[in-house]
Amino acid sequence: MDARRTVPTLTPAMLVTWALFATLPFWIEPIGLYHYLGIEILIFATYALAYNLVLGHAGLPSFGHGAFFGIGAYAFGLAQFNIAPNLWICLAVAVLATALAGALVALFISHRRGIYFSLMTIAFGQVFWFVAMKAHAITGGEDGLLKIARLPADLGLTAIPLETNVALYYGVLAMFMLVSLGLWRLIHSPFGRVVKAIKQNEERARFIGYDVWACKFAVIVLSAALSGLAGGLFAMAQRSAFPDVMSLHYSGYIVMMTLIGGGLVSFWGPVIGAVVFFLARDLIGALTTSWMLWFGLLFVILVLFRPEGLAGLFEALRRKPPPAPVAAPDAKEA
Amino acid sequence: MLIDLLPHLVNGLTLGLLFALIALGFMLILGLMEQINLAHGSLFALGAYFAFAIATPRLPLPPDMLKIWAGVPLGWRYTAAILIAPVLVAPFGVVIERLMRRTYGRDPLYGLLLTFGIAMVLEDLIRAVWGTRDYVLPVPRDISGGFLFLDLIWSRYRFWAAAFAIAAIAIVWLVVERTRFGAMVKAGAHDSEIVQALGIDLKKLRTGVFVFGTMLAALAGVILAPIWGIRPHMGVDAVVPAFLVIVLGGVGSFWGAVIAGLLVGMVVGLSGAYASEWSLLSMYLLLILVVTFRARGLFGKKSVLEA
Repeated sequence: MDARRTVPTLTPAMLVTWALFATLPFWIEPIGLYHYLGIEILIFATYALAYNLVLGHAGLPSFGHGAFFGIGAYAFGLAQFNIAPNLWICLAVAVLATALAGALVALFISHRRGIYFSLMTIAFGQVFWFVAMKAHAITGGEDGLLKIARLPADLGLTAIPLETNVALYYGVLAMFMLVSLGLWRLIHSPFGRVVKAIKQNEERARFIGYDVWACKFAVIVLSAALSGLAGGLFAMAQRSAFPDVMSLHYSGYIVMMTLIGGGLVSFWGPVIGAVVFFLARDLIGALTTSWMLWFGLLFVILVLFRPEGLAGLFEALRRKPPPAPVAAPDAKEA
Repeated sequence: MLIDLLPHLVNGLTLGLLFALIALGFMLILGLMEQINLAHGSLFALGAYFAFAIATPRLPLPPDMLKIWAGVPLGWRYTAAILIAPVLVAPFGVVIERLMRRTYGRDPLYGLLLTFGIAMVLEDLIRAVWGTRDYVLPVPRDISGGFLFLDLIWSRYRFWAAAFAIAAIAIVWLVVERTRFGAMVKAGAHDSEIVQALGIDLKKLRTGVFVFGTMLAALAGVILAPIWGIRPHMGVDAVVPAFLVIVLGGVGSFWGAVIAGLLVGMVVGLSGAYASEWSLLSMYLLLILVVTFRARGLFGKKSVLEA
């Protein structure tokens, strides 16, 4: 294939996103918000990007992804208590544990499609959630794991403390940049094209000779592992790990974030979605206790009229002048 | 040995009948619309809350009218709750069906997402109206309490619930298998184009099915409320077993749903005998086990789910 046609490693959108997030600690308090919100947004943006690997890029609607996020959080805490209080070791354990869990799930669901895939992911998600709730001895049951420390980032010669919200924010930002860069490369690699082909027509991809099963397996494991990474960071951010994030509700929230942002049509959609989700939680939540009622309505309206999400809306506004017929088949596939 | 298991067996059987009842409404909608209605559980929860409002009584009525209603014996108020709550929930089903129209013929994923959003909205609506606390639906003395049999204490209510579920399932069977409405539903599920060509208003039929399914969900909510307690989260606790029963039994199979419901109930009941904390886990494991070896479930035919 023509080398010039490959997508650049760094794009303007990526640099703008990173720059916005990099300067966030300087302007988030003046506009009336707080630093911890930035951490939450970045962690869930990372999680949503990882989730979108299955939903948006491979077209596999998982409703049980919260399990991986939660397993990552628990693994991070347990590694800290039982193996070594070292950031890299704990994050590695979180990634490894979720990759294993992802592999186990993928063994059962890699040859499933569509709604059947969704239903199986709900079943698996519930199994993991249930185990987290009931295995008191390991997970602390409903009380969760408490007193998880914000570990310093040990860089050999020096160790950067991540105790404060701003320091942790930049630590999480570094991870977010790594993950977004990695995923961007992956999506535009030959592997990424196979994934896209599977999304559009699984049977055709199989007939061409791709190992569809192995490809879906890899996508699920990778998405799970990165969700686990985000979960580990979340355990550190809130200094604890709870079963909540593994419930069907939270698994649904990540679907909502990804879709509202426009994960089906845009690489950065999930990031937009995470920002909108947390802003909505805080802003609508300040006015009413039932913020999910209004956010849910927004979601319902979006699914009905703009399933391609906010990113799709921006796209539509940008190329409004002539009704572009070229875009039609793409929108249908999504 | 067997006598020790008997209560768990009976509990499982009751639970299974109720699971089947929840699942049947879910299945009718899935069958005709080819859409998963994740809001089914919220309709179930609404049924329970409306029944609570009628029976306790906490209706938004003028104080003196409410006083008169409060003076009515519990037996009557409870009966009214069973009869009226599903009717009050029905309009919610109509609204959901109207919203879902835009997703017909599209990837079932959109219906799934739409109804997930609706479920979130309804659950928060319930929280906004009734708060987050648990409520108890009072039941008349005739069907509450326990009785002694074979040196064991049995809950009267569970027997009443089982009998009621059997009656409701029988009625659903009669409607689906013995009425013109049922015939149209089955034909519509099989081939919607032919049905339209025959001059049947598919729109009305779909609304009708949705209302029927909604009322079944609400009814199941009323019957299960005294066993589970009334809480905002009960919708999710109901919809997950419902889809599980459908997948296990095989999409589109009436008796598949009933048998799968009983099977799930028995597995939960019997595993409760050995590990009560973990009993709910067994149903997920059962689903994973069955679907791994029989993708279409126990009695399923080829369906939209395999698309």
